[in-house]
Amino acid sequence: MSLSTLGERFRKNIQTYIIIIFLIATWGVFAIVTKGGYLSSQNISNLFRQMTVTGFLASGMVLVMVTGGIDLSVGKMAGFVSVVVALFQRDVWIQLFPGQPAVSAVLSIVLGLLVGSLYGAFQAWIIAYLRVPAFIATLGGMFIMNGGILLVTGGQTIAANQPVFSAIAQGYLPSLAGWILAAVVVAVLIFLMFNDRKTKAKYGFTPKPIIQDILKTAFFSFLIILYVYIVNQYNGVQVPVLILAVTVIVMSYISTNTRFGRYAYAIGGNREAARLSGINIKKETFMIFTVMGLLCGLGGIVLASYVGYGTIAAGQGYELDAIASCVLGGTSTLGGSGTIFGAMIGALIMASLNTGLQMLNVAPAWQYVLRGAVLVLAVIIDVYFKKSN
Amino acid sequence: MDENIILDFQHVTKTFPGVVALDDVSFQVRRGEIHGLCGENGAGKSTLMKILSGVYPHDQYEGTVLYDGQELILEGSAIQKAGEKGIAIVYQELTLVPGMTVGENIYLGKEPVEMGSITWDRVYSDTQKILDKYKLNITPQDIVKNLGVGKMQMTEIAKALSENAKVLILDEPTSALSEAEVDQLMEILKTLKEHGVTCIYITHKIEEFFRIADQITVMRDGKIVTTQPTEDLTSEKLVQYMVGREMKERFPKGNRKPGQVLFEVEDLHAVDPDKGREVLKGVSFDLRQGEILGIAGLMGSGRTELVMTLFGEYAKVTSGSIKLAGQEIEVLNGHDAMKKGISLVPEDRKRHGLVLIQSILKNISLPNLDRFSSFMRVNQDAELAESLKFAKELAIKTPSLFVPVESLSGGNQQKVVISKWLMSGPKILIMDDPTRGIDVGAKFEIYKLMNDLAEKGIAIIMISSDLQEVLGMSDRVMVMCQGRSKGTLDIKEATQERIMTLATGIN
Repeated sequence: MSLSTLGERFRKNIQTYIIIIFLIATWGVFAIVTKGGYLSSQNISNLFRQMTVTGFLASGMVLVMVTGGIDLSVGKMAGFVSVVVALFQRDVWIQLFPGQPAVSAVLSIVLGLLVGSLYGAFQAWIIAYLRVPAFIATLGGMFIMNGGILLVTGGQTIAANQPVFSAIAQGYLPSLAGWILAAVVVAVLIFLMFNDRKTKAKYGFTPKPIIQDILKTAFFSFLIILYVYIVNQYNGVQVPVLILAVTVIVMSYISTNTRFGRYAYAIGGNREAARLSGINIKKETFMIFTVMGLLCGLGGIVLASYVGYGTIAAGQGYELDAIASCVLGGTSTLGGSGTIFGAMIGALIMASLNTGLQMLNVAPAWQYVLRGAVLVLAVIIDVYFKKSN
Repeated sequence: MDENIILDFQHVTKTFPGVVALDDVSFQVRRGEIHGLCGENGAGKSTLMKILSGVYPHDQYEGTVLYDGQELILEGSAIQKAGEKGIAIVYQELTLVPGMTVGENIYLGKEPVEMGSITWDRVYSDTQKILDKYKLNITPQDIVKNLGVGKMQMTEIAKALSENAKVLILDEPTSALSEAEVDQLMEILKTLKEHGVTCIYITHKIEEFFRIADQITVMRDGKIVTTQPTEDLTSEKLVQYMVGREMKERFPKGNRKPGQVLFEVEDLHAVDPDKGREVLKGVSFDLRQGEILGIAGLMGSGRTELVMTLFGEYAKVTSGSIKLAGQEIEVLNGHDAMKKGISLVPEDRKRHGLVLIQSILKNISLPNLDRFSSFMRVNQDAELAESLKFAKELAIKTPSLFVPVESLSGGNQQKVVISKWLMSGPKILIMDDPTRGIDVGAKFEIYKLMNDLAEKGIAIIMISSDLQEVLGMSDRVMVMCQGRSKGTLDIKEATQERIMTLATGIN
């Protein structure tokens, strides 16, 4: 019995490759139509910044959808966190810690994560232990959070553009720091490649031909270097993108390398079999929705910093972008499959479309139409792949 | 054209990429007979029937199929056309909608309609007529998911019969039926024969051919080995034709000596939490190390409910005790059961035992991830190495562990389920109908495996509706009837009659 061949692995990942190609094609089309303006380093830099909030939400949504659930409250939850954080930034921390913007920023981060986690846990408890269907519970959550936003803001915008705090979503790393970061990442990739081969040998597996691993590592290293090069032309590596990258790495690791992640896929694949295999479905569901809440908190913090304000429309429609990103990235609406990495590509595609259409001054109405059409197209392609297998 | 021949397969060949599923298949089925079709998994029986029933339309195979003297050409919505022509098939995998009633299922897709709306009265009265005609013990208003597997299968058969089938194909119809229900099915088939319906009967239970079939065709590796009248054949000959070699015995001889009592259940009562009714009304038995305890009983006697409760995943124990190695225990859930050394191979491997879209590897390791995890991380290399060990030990036929389990045959799927529970190192292995829907060769492998495990000291509880299997494999037999245990017989004193007497509660 042999390990899977390169061919099998390729076929498994073909969906990921397809969406990457789709992303590149989107960029290509817009580049042509804007006569290259689209590919300016400023635009690319803003593009990546723009997708971060959706990215945070999508990285939690993947596991939710993998278990066969859904969370419709994420947009308004992120919005609620953003206005709460804005409020504290403007009114509270200044009183307690005047003249210490860094302290305020840190406290805001803690606060945002706490608020997101608390409501996330509450919602998680309702879904996991009271057995209220996720669709209904989170729909209710969306309304509650919306009300919360109006209560906190009192119908007005709250400024959240204090120093340090603004750096969260509007800050950049100096060029040198960006290059050092790239070097570190490439070094880590190379280390992982060798380490992986070593452990496989330890268990008596013949490792794949080294050329495959080298090509893969080289490819991703190239991407990292290219990225840093481009963004350094503008203002440097964006802080929110860095935060998102770390989040994605953590969430990816969790979903593929921990029991928690494995159990999620099993529950989505066959709930009954998962239960009879000794998996505590209630506990698992509770944790997944709580983590979603935490990530909404993170998204809300970045949102407040990005916009610079807590607004009454904060987070409006973000849940749909998050879900669309997941589906575009290969997460099945029926549960059981989906990757964080794919969802990020999906989020990039959504942001690329938004940016491109804005650049072309397309009316917002048409933007909605196109975004919806892309989502449906993604599902059609997904179904086609599942069928032909 | 011989008037007596209703089906004539002529040089039928079908290939899939890399494999020849049917190789120049030619044989004839006589009108009004019950024709047995016999062969191991992968022999080609299902593929052939899929051609007949329209799953593979005319352009997907070579050769000719003559139906009632004319060439059978099914195109477009081939399955529907086959149904219209009177060819109906009852599958091994149930194709019912669990949330709907028996009546709704039987008329699904062909509901009688008047002015655009369905005439439900007609649906239910027509359904009742069919049920009465073939004496099926279900009502049209029963909701399918509340029926046991046996009654679900009756619904499937009724559904096929409702289409005025001229040829009825039955694929493993008795795999989930109790002895009484099998008798009932045989009666139904005899009635059908009187009505001139031709039946093609596929089963792994060879003795059924001798009860009901007029002719038997044996297939092996996509080819026809022989077609002969039943009276010219014996079980041994059939098995020999099927596997191409002599198989001395159906059940391997065990070499074990059961040890001390490991597990004791005393007067167990349990209540179904959803429905509020008592499902276990007093079950007592004990289990020794290294023995195979067979549990026999009719459908509905509570065997599956018993083992699911012992595994902590079904009913709430209201009284009675469970003792493991002399200590009284309470099993809170499946995870707890596992920790205590109790594993359960469930009755329905597809619904309860496997995550079909996931790989063999992930299925085997699922309940055992704890052993490969430190802190938060699953050590995937260790996981793969361990799983490979078990897959090799159980001889799971697959090119790689990364293949999704849904692509495996029934026998191999069952081996995956067994592997997954073996890996957790159980002291007690409960197997609910472990060889259901599996071919002779694979069954034998599983029996051998059970013997090996018992020899190593694992205590095995085996539920089976196949009395021969119970008698062939068990050291002792516990019989259940209507939620109660009716006694445990030593194998030396167990006979089919004694077991049936206890199982039917006739005393």
